[in-house]
This record gives sequence, structure tokens and C-alpha cells, in this order.
Amino acid sequence: MTTIILIAVAAGFFLWSLIKSRKKTKESLKIAKGLFISTAIQIVGVLALVSLFLAIIPPELIKKVMGGANEAVSVLWGSLIGTVTIIPAFIAFPLSKQLMEAGAALTAIAAFLTTLTMVGFATFPIEKEYFGTKFTIYRNLFSFFAAIFVALLMGVML
Amino acid sequence: MMTFIKKHKLITIAMLAYLITLIVSPEIFINAIKQNSAFLLEMLEILPPIMVISSLISVWVPNDVIIKGFGNTSGIKGKLFSILIGAFSAGPIYAGFPVAKTLYDKGASVGNVVIILSAWAVVKVPMYLVETSFLGAAFANTRYLLTIPLIIVLGYLMQRIVKRKDIPVSELDNEITEIYENLPQRNCGACGYTDCHDFAKAIKEGEAKMDECKILSRSKEIV
Repeated sequence: MTTIILIAVAAGFFLWSLIKSRKKTKESLKIAKGLFISTAIQIVGVLALVSLFLAIIPPELIKKVMGGANEAVSVLWGSLIGTVTIIPAFIAFPLSKQLMEAGAALTAIAAFLTTLTMVGFATFPIEKEYFGTKFTIYRNLFSFFAAIFVALLMGVML
Repeated sequence: MMTFIKKHKLITIAMLAYLITLIVSPEIFINAIKQNSAFLLEMLEILPPIMVISSLISVWVPNDVIIKGFGNTSGIKGKLFSILIGAFSAGPIYAGFPVAKTLYDKGASVGNVVIILSAWAVVKVPMYLVETSFLGAAFANTRYLLTIPLIIVLGYLMQRIVKRKDIPVSELDNEITEIYENLPQRNCGACGYTDCHDFAKAIKEGEAKMDECKILSRSKEIV
């Protein structure tokens, strides 16, 4: 259902663009093509690795770590895993769905998604170069707790 | 062959991993392939419309338009603009570092820099659509509604703690920065690199050429 909405949004935007400017629309299609090819290659690689990983790791383990009886612990695991991994956010969503089907808690997945994009263990040295140590430590620390906070609230609301 | 491996590290690793699995345990191999094809089919449905939307945003909302509108860096308007910069930009958070730093050098506050980076990470139009498709609208809406106010709180907290003297003024790598500034900074990824900064680095190291940038070569065609 949402896929249909997605396609409808894309088609609507595209039509609007086509009416507004034929040239700009052509430009955007060129970019979209390049974007599609480069992303597709990346995605195929990551998805293949993730599938292999899921085939090797028993679902019980995922359930134990990210969907245990103690939800706070699962959320903590979710946010820790999100902090140390760097995968494109694109791939994180199908992966999250898969993890949830394997038994991961909704809250743990929410925490995982937020820390994945906001908190970066691997990007720490890059951020430090731009903004200094103090900024980087505090931003990542606060974002980490914000992610946990949002996840726990989502658990209450959903 | 070598350049293929270098450019597509992930897929090379994946192929090797599958080869090893096939030898060690054909059963796991078959399971993984099954899992993989389900994944891929789902991605194939979603990827093309997302790409169309992303690139239309790139064409219609160029970075410099938003950055020019950023003139007012204080108050609610500044915060709103900060979120918009993040939401309409492409690429992962580390692609946002150079952009946010440029705005900081032009006078944006520490708090707004934090808001830009956080929004860059979490508040994304195309990503929101992907999230809705896979995890449902209720999940995505709640996560966004809770995160956005928190991002503003985060900016406020950081503003109080981190002072301007804590942030280095040093230029990173002059040559890379110079190349980077001549790029469109759209982080469209059409050149095969994750973002413009990666591409600039590759140009400096002689791995890539400026005219591999799809946007630049496009504007040349028009001239």
C-alpha cells in the first residue's frame, strides 16, 4: 500500500516538474539514473551480506538481544549496534523489518535507526577534525541518549 | 579488475563470503539466497521512485538557495532553516560536516550547527518515504514527531556547553577544500562516490577526474 503511495508521490512530483520545466526534469532524470546505478550496486552488496548474516545467525539470538524480556536492555543493545555500524540508511529500513520479523522489539529498532544515522563511532575522527573534541563528544553523547529517550517513548505510544 | 574491486569493495566481499559459505555449508547458502531475493525484490519496487524524488529535490531545491535563505541565524526562523537544510540535503551525516562547517564560519551559531547535523541525520524526505514503506506510517510519524523537538533541545544544550573557542578554525586540507568548493555539493552520488567530499578526495589523489561529476558535465552541455 505504502509503495503505491510512494510511486504516486514520485509520479505527481515528476509531472509537476515536467510541466514547470522540461529541461530541469531531463537533468533530474540523468541524476536519478546515476544515483540508481551507484546505489543499486552498493545495495546489492550490503543486502547480500545482511542476508548471509541472517542465514548464519539464528533468529533466537536476535530475539534474545533485541527483543528480550527486559525492553530497556533491548533498546540499549539497539542503540549500541546503531552506533558502531555504518550502513546506508536506505538499507537500514528493510533490514529493520527483517529484524523485527525475527523477533526484535519495535523500541530496539527505533533506537537502532536513530543512532545509526545520528551517532557515529566510525565518523568520530572526521567530526573531530571539523568541530573539535568537545563538540563531538557532547553531540554524540546527547544524541545517543536522545535516541534511547525517543525509542522508549515510542514504546509507550505505539 | 583491480579498479572494480577497489570501487566495489562491498560486492567483492559479499561474493567471496558466499563462495566460502557454499563450500562450508550449502544449506546456509541456499537460505541466504532465498532471503536475498526477497530483499532485492522489495528494494526494486521502492528504489526507482525514491531516486526520482531525490533527484527532483536536487534539481529544484539546490543547496545554495537554502543556504542563502539562512541569513537570519537567530530565533525560530534560524532553527527552522537549520532543519530544512538538513531535511533537503542528500547523503549521510558526514557529508553534512563540511556544509555545516561552512555555515558556522559564515556566522551560524553552535546550536544551529547541531540542529543542521541532527536534521541531516534523521529528518529526510526520501528516507521518510522509505521508512513508511517498510515500517509503517505510525512508526515513522511517531519517530519524526518525537525526534524533531528533541533536536531543537539538543541544539540549545550544545549552545550552552560548547563555546566558539572550542571549535577549531583550522582548514582541513586546503587542496581538498578547494576542489570541494568547485563541486556542486549536491552529494548526488552519481559519480560513484558517496558524497562530494569523497569525490574531491579522489580527485586530489588522482583516482577520479572532475568531469566525472554528472552535474558539472551537465551544466557544460547547456553552455
